[in-house]
Amino acid sequence: MITAGIDMGIQTVKVVILKDGAVIARSKTFSGFEPTKAAEQAFEEALKTAKISKSDITQILATGAGMDMAPYANGTISMMSADAKAGVYLIPSARTIIDVGAEEARAVKCDERGVMADFVVNERCAAGAGTFIEAMARALEVKMEDMGPLSLKAERASPINASCVIFGESDVVTLIHRQESKPEIARAVFDAMADRVSSMVHRLGINPDVVLVGGVAKDVGFVASLKRKLGINILIPENPEYTGALGAALLATNRVKGAQK
Amino acid sequence: MTKQTQERKYVPELPQKESEELRNAAKAMSAKVIAENIERMKKTNPQRPALMQYYDEIADFFGRRQKEIQEEKAKGKKVIGYFCMFAPIELILAADAIPVRVNSGWYDTSKLGDRIVPVEVCPVIRSTIGAKMISLSPYLELSDALISTLTCDGQTKLSEIMSDYTQVITMSPPRVKDSPQSLHLWKEEIKSVKTQIEELTGNKITNKKLREAIETMQKATKAFRRLQDLRKGNPVIMGRDAMLVNQTATWDNIKRWTEKTEELCNELEKRVQQKMWACPPDTPRVLVTGTPMYWPDNWKLPTLIEEATPQGVLVADELCSSDRLLYDPVGVDEWTMDDMLNAISERYLMASTCPCFTSTDGNEDRINWLKNKIKEFNVNGVIYYVVRGCMLYAMEYARIKKALDKMNIPVYYLDTEYTREDVGQMKTRVEAFLEMLTARVDF
Repeated sequence: MITAGIDMGIQTVKVVILKDGAVIARSKTFSGFEPTKAAEQAFEEALKTAKISKSDITQILATGAGMDMAPYANGTISMMSADAKAGVYLIPSARTIIDVGAEEARAVKCDERGVMADFVVNERCAAGAGTFIEAMARALEVKMEDMGPLSLKAERASPINASCVIFGESDVVTLIHRQESKPEIARAVFDAMADRVSSMVHRLGINPDVVLVGGVAKDVGFVASLKRKLGINILIPENPEYTGALGAALLATNRVKGAQK
Repeated sequence: MTKQTQERKYVPELPQKESEELRNAAKAMSAKVIAENIERMKKTNPQRPALMQYYDEIADFFGRRQKEIQEEKAKGKKVIGYFCMFAPIELILAADAIPVRVNSGWYDTSKLGDRIVPVEVCPVIRSTIGAKMISLSPYLELSDALISTLTCDGQTKLSEIMSDYTQVITMSPPRVKDSPQSLHLWKEEIKSVKTQIEELTGNKITNKKLREAIETMQKATKAFRRLQDLRKGNPVIMGRDAMLVNQTATWDNIKRWTEKTEELCNELEKRVQQKMWACPPDTPRVLVTGTPMYWPDNWKLPTLIEEATPQGVLVADELCSSDRLLYDPVGVDEWTMDDMLNAISERYLMASTCPCFTSTDGNEDRINWLKNKIKEFNVNGVIYYVVRGCMLYAMEYARIKKALDKMNIPVYYLDTEYTREDVGQMKTRVEAFLEMLTARVDF
């Protein structure tokens, strides 16, 4: 059976195609102003990689902030359910899944079947999510992907306030004026983000193993800060940004099986 | 008292033109929201009882109920507005006055309130201030006096702000609920309110009058409980409809409301026999607790729950704007004035599960209330709803969560504002929660 998941993220659309429980294609593209078109494009690409046509797919589920705009979808599923399902699929010992995306961070507690038991979401502020790194990189005049490696060179931490992106940016400007080094400021940015994400996770309760997914999981600077903050080991699967799409594809398989019962 | 002639302590005078423009805009928006809410309630349950139309009419702030109150007022009756459900309705009725609840559920007026108090203040308070600033609420405008119980900080200062406009009768509830001196103090407050109501109306509250009023409210409680009991089994009424029935009791002529609600219950009982359900019987059953939700704008959470994919049904709540309203009757042993006042004091204090209280066990009464409802109503999950700035409800969450975890009942903390802009984000959260409940039921 072939199923697909489309994750309509705020910054990027991700598509995963599954055949008999194994990933046969994944693709992503920027959401831009026309997320539906972007999704169609990502979908075509994934079909090409998988060397199949759309009619070969039994069920397609959409997830993510823009899930209602997803093309071709037979239904939708929340990011939390998708994260729980895919988190346990990727790392079977996972019981807490932290997902940090472009504009939202969330944490999901789940059981061994990947069924969500509880969840928390960051509250309407991007300071604990990827956009924060982007804005701060701009203020520091460095490339976003260089922020992580840069922060690892810091010798000490200088705290900033991350109650919001805008105030965070003015804090960073203050640090620049105080002539703090770029590595230290970069580390301050990740520490502040990790602070917010860890309070969120603490509200849920930490249930090992803890798995970090979402685009920001690829940022070594954030990962280092979050490990420090939580004081525990954090596991990161391969291709962490595809977790939502993968979860949707897995749940699509479940749905078909459920209907066959 | 002619407060209008005194200098205002809080609120500056709005230019008449601005006030009028804002009022007209808010009124138009309100009419739109009311119509839309009702439309959506009908859509959710295409077999929504025809009797609901009565409550839809009463729910129109600018419709028939407003006119009725105006007419009675013209004949010399006094109107007494009140904020919290601590206001002793029986005393208002016994003085031949009209009780009407005046907390604001309008989102747009909270922005006006921001001109007077900071945005950190609870939006229910800010919105009520805003509504008063542009004379939006017919019930607030028709009120000859307002009874304000100083339950939370916001409500305490709101009383002062409202006294810029009209006479405010304050009641100070004790913060410790279960000490002997608390009940004594509260009884003194009840007696003092009685005197003030008598002064305002010029009507003496006699034994006979008070007994009649208590009996009227006991009948209302009976109908109210009958409705809630019908929600214990398979869903025969959607939660939003029940919430509307409950809330209209705070504006309507209570005798008529009681008759209509008994009729509605008759109809619902028939439907139970015919197995005519408002939604599929396996729909996840949700209980909502937390900050009160007022018609018309702040209907967004129940709407999201009942329109979500997967769908949920609100089977019970622990809100002072709905299921808690008329749940507890005044229980009288001897129909003497003293005994009746005692019974009123006890009912309004001891039955309350408001987080403004603490006691030897903290607010354990609220936890027990929730536990009982969860069992009786077969609840699958609880949404703990808080508006930003509602400190008491927000702070009690940690304790409630612990208690519900022990029962293995999922609970989700959902905080929001008086705004329409966050509906998308709320939808994501509510749907994830319902998916979780469905998954628990499925496996």
